[in-house]
Amino acid sequence: MDQSPDRPATQKAVSVPVRVYEREGCLERSQLVVNEQPVTLYLNQREMVTLLCAGNHLDELAVGFLHGEGFLQNLADLEEVLVDASAGKVEVTARGSSSLAENLWQKRTITSGCGKGSLFYYAIDSLLSRPVESSVTLSSQQLRERLEDLNRMSETYRQTHGVHNTALATPEDIMLFRDDIGRHNAVDMIVGYSFLHGISLEDKLLITTGRLTSEILIKAAKVGIPVLISRNTATSLAVELANSLNITLIGFARAGKFTVYSGAERIVG
Amino acid sequence: MSIYLDNAATSYPKPLSVYQAVEHVLKEVGGSPGRASHRQAREASAIVEAARKKVALLFGIGNAERVSFTKNATESINLVLKGWLEPGDRVVVSGIEHNAVIRPLRRLSGDGVQVEIVPCGTDGQLELETFEKSLDKPCRLAVLTHASNVNGALQPIAEVARICSDRDIPLLLDAAQTGGIQTIMADQWNLGMLACSGHKSLLGPSGVGILYVREDLSVKPLIEGGTGSRSEEDFQPDFCPDCYESGTPNLLGIAGLAAGIDFIDEKGMTSMLQHELSLASRLERGLMVLPGIKVYQPGVRGTSTVSFTSEGLNPADLGYLLDQGFDIAVRTGLHCAPLAHRTLGTFPEGTVRVSPGVFTTLEEIDQFLHAIETLISRRL
Repeated sequence: MDQSPDRPATQKAVSVPVRVYEREGCLERSQLVVNEQPVTLYLNQREMVTLLCAGNHLDELAVGFLHGEGFLQNLADLEEVLVDASAGKVEVTARGSSSLAENLWQKRTITSGCGKGSLFYYAIDSLLSRPVESSVTLSSQQLRERLEDLNRMSETYRQTHGVHNTALATPEDIMLFRDDIGRHNAVDMIVGYSFLHGISLEDKLLITTGRLTSEILIKAAKVGIPVLISRNTATSLAVELANSLNITLIGFARAGKFTVYSGAERIVG
Repeated sequence: MSIYLDNAATSYPKPLSVYQAVEHVLKEVGGSPGRASHRQAREASAIVEAARKKVALLFGIGNAERVSFTKNATESINLVLKGWLEPGDRVVVSGIEHNAVIRPLRRLSGDGVQVEIVPCGTDGQLELETFEKSLDKPCRLAVLTHASNVNGALQPIAEVARICSDRDIPLLLDAAQTGGIQTIMADQWNLGMLACSGHKSLLGPSGVGILYVREDLSVKPLIEGGTGSRSEEDFQPDFCPDCYESGTPNLLGIAGLAAGIDFIDEKGMTSMLQHELSLASRLERGLMVLPGIKVYQPGVRGTSTVSFTSEGLNPADLGYLLDQGFDIAVRTGLHCAPLAHRTLGTFPEGTVRVSPGVFTTLEEIDQFLHAIETLISRRL
């Protein structure tokens, strides 16, 4: 399980002076808060987006984000990822820049109202998301165990209560843990790591502490993750998309219970 | 370079002569037809009457006075349905009709008009025997779309017209998709009424529709008002075309429509049809070899309109991806014809509809096919 690759990470939490008010009065003390910083992603010297994040695993964040947006489809096309955490920038160089991805970049899907419209709101998502074909199954017991594993790993959360924890897992084990102030960022890091290491996602579970919204679901669908699990709730559009994209969506997974919104056939036993 | 493949909605581009005719009327004529005796008004009248004759000639109508200009084919259809049918009447329509027919009929059915829908096959073709049988019961009107606006299925109009004529049942032909590209012989077929748009294969500007009503049929007008004739009377004239042409007509549109018909005459409708059918054939063949693509082929093709779906990609998404990714214009969804989509089995998502026009080239069709291949492969 890769929790902290061998490179210097940005300090995840910093101590700040605070005044805490209680019934009995107030006291001055220091408190740990999670680090937050803007990081700008460049692709072939073109500024793409600025993300607010905790500042860790920026190479994975950049690669995962660009892969999800269709700019990086093959690892062989990736030439260089230069991270300058102190300057808040990541410069990615890649071959074979896609004009189609460029044309579709951040284009909001517009439909005419003549016929059942799209579930997607970004054109690129409608192209890259497709129903997930996967034979993976897991038992209720495995699901509970993986959630307990995730909870044990969340040191920054315990210190700050300021991050979302996300893990890539098989039914038997947690493979990768990432946390960030943005649940999207944590998923992008997992996608980026998997892309960089050639990990197939068709038989994996994505476990997160964040809400299961359409954005998270689409990120998973675009890379073919068949099972999404959260201790939090799901949104209506996420459920609709999950049904449409053959993804098992599980929420309120805590205290030994969980709620299956879609794809219950992957839960066996 | 953009590629326009939505000619079933409206043709684009128009012949140069159409733009010129509209500009000429707007700049040089400027009068209101039939409303005065000055030169500009007379010239405007002459333009309208010349256009009327051209339409009559094109559609095989002996008496051009029975041709009226409306706003569009939908208005022409509404006029007939609401001006002819009475509570208690029974009307028979096909299972491939457009909302221009179905929606007014749904309203009229609330007023006591009985509507019977004769099914079509999944290829969009009318089941002729079922249709004929449906006329055994008393029927005041039959309505048929000449060619489907969804998949281009051409109906056996000559047979249908004969069946209706033998029973003395007026037939309203919706020729919105075929006017200008398929031969129409209103007198020979003894059509009761005919509705057509001016801006599709007739190549005119939008805003002009055509209505033909047979001499022996008394269809009430949809609206009343000034006609420039019998102005001393409080009541609407009862003669054609004035009874259906209240208010200032769309002179620009009518002039453009006349120029469009001239272009068709010059180019030859047969060669235009051959060109468009060859484009449709290339489209169908190119699409059918692609994985996950289903083409909704008609039994008999009458226009260039091709409809298809792609497994795993919503038609609305695919249409927008074509627009944003390749600058290709197609129409997606239900094409205002949900009944037709129920017949074809494509309701409620609908289809991607590709409709080349007279100016579309084979190279553009190939570019379109390449774009579809790229999109369905998800290769960016």
